[in-house]
Amino acid sequence: MYFPYFITYMSIGLVISIVVFIWALKNGQFRDQQRARFLPLEDDLDQTAAGTSRVSRYEMYGLFLLALAGLGASAAVLIYSLFYAP
Amino acid sequence: MSNPSPTYQTAKGFCLTSAFWMIVGTLMGLIGATELVAPDLTKNIGWLVFGRVRPIHINIVLFGFVTPGLLAAAFYYFPRLLKTELYSERLGVVTVVAWNIALVAVVLTLMLGYTQGREYAELIWPIDVAVIVVFLMVFFNFIMTVKQRTEPVLYVSVWYALAAVILTACTYALGNIVWRPSSGALVGIPDAIILWFYGHNVFGLLLTPLSAGVTYYVIPRSVRAPLYSHTLSLLGFWSLIVVYTHIGTHHLLQVPVPTWLKVIAIVDSVAMVIPVMAFLINIWYTAKGRLGEIHADIGAKFVFTGTIMYFFVSIQGSMMSLPDVQRVTHFNNWVVAHAHIGVLGFAGMIALGGLYYILPKVTGRPLYSRLLADIQYWLVLIVSIGFTVVLTIAGLIQGNGWLNGETVYRILPQIHPYYVTRASLGLILVIGAALGFYNIVRTLFVRSGEAVT
Repeated sequence: MYFPYFITYMSIGLVISIVVFIWALKNGQFRDQQRARFLPLEDDLDQTAAGTSRVSRYEMYGLFLLALAGLGASAAVLIYSLFYAP
Repeated sequence: MSNPSPTYQTAKGFCLTSAFWMIVGTLMGLIGATELVAPDLTKNIGWLVFGRVRPIHINIVLFGFVTPGLLAAAFYYFPRLLKTELYSERLGVVTVVAWNIALVAVVLTLMLGYTQGREYAELIWPIDVAVIVVFLMVFFNFIMTVKQRTEPVLYVSVWYALAAVILTACTYALGNIVWRPSSGALVGIPDAIILWFYGHNVFGLLLTPLSAGVTYYVIPRSVRAPLYSHTLSLLGFWSLIVVYTHIGTHHLLQVPVPTWLKVIAIVDSVAMVIPVMAFLINIWYTAKGRLGEIHADIGAKFVFTGTIMYFFVSIQGSMMSLPDVQRVTHFNNWVVAHAHIGVLGFAGMIALGGLYYILPKVTGRPLYSRLLADIQYWLVLIVSIGFTVVLTIAGLIQGNGWLNGETVYRILPQIHPYYVTRASLGLILVIGAALGFYNIVRTLFVRSGEAVT
């Protein structure tokens, strides 16, 4: 066969995943999902949160602008590539 | 908690490991970036030539900085989410020591020129074995902790961390062809397939699930709200397992690999939108209206920023798997930009966030300096964005050159300014890493400040 290792890995991975999934199903891991949402909070909680300051609002605007710049750059490249596709 | 005063020695050890190797990894990146603009700088210094520095940079950032940072948080949240003690703190500490010995061996062997010469799989066989062993040690500790849990439901972070560790142990063994110690390689196209399957998964199936695990723990806790949907998080987890495991061939679309494999790789790369958006929608809805709490916690701030970067790097990843897009973006610095958003902007940010989130908890004291951590946050953020911008531009110039049949030497002067900027940004990152290391060492070892209740 041309690529036995790859197919072996995919098959083993698939079998293990299915076995674990079935275990999870039978073990009740997909039941009681409402309680599961709270699991990280069942521990002792941290100190009370501080409020939002003006500086942190500016930080948020800065992050938003950076995010927009990144998205714009990605969109430009996609358009460019598709436009010049042979 | 069944154990009223856990020591968290393993988590602390991985914190320190991550902080230290971040300096080494970024320094190697800086040296490599500098050599690209000043090739004669390290002339006649054999152990510092670009071909040796680059693999050290990649391996150390992956296994020295980001993975230990994420594992530090995992070793903290595992006992807490499972309401038990860590199975063996001693085994954890031994793992940390073995991990660091392996990292020293990585640097020394690569500097001395001992390499198997396959990209991302350069390490020689004894170190390959050591890497697999330490991952198995971590997995054993995790799975035994799961076995002795008192909480019946496995929270999604536990699923992610378990999958990351065991999948990486398997992926690493297979990708490095450990059954052939002398070469660590197959021959021809099958080797290319398996190498890129490995090259993609060693990042994607290690850093992505570990980062998701940390995020699913830190964000609900820091905003003091339950997760938006645990069902959605499990949907994201299982879809990640299904689609992420075989997309590596999208690195080989220009290569004569079987078409069916390329189709699987492309379709699953696009299908990655499902686990990515399941994760992001869940996290962002959990944090909705609670950004003040995120800003108040430096760990959560790092982590939340990492999720924004994850959005970009994932959208990019899906786009880049399309053959038409690859005509411009492949074989040039665009991919390097993508890698830096992924490893530094996404996983690196979340690793640092995990560290800063757990440090006050594991030490029982506040962080030594919130200001230093904030400065590091902004340095890492600026450098991540900066790398993305300059390397994307350089990549587009190169991609445009390939597309139009331009010769390489005519393109090089055009990308020179961006290479210089990249090296300067690297310097900023090394400074950020050093500040972080100082802050973390002071927090861990210097008893100052008031105790955290």
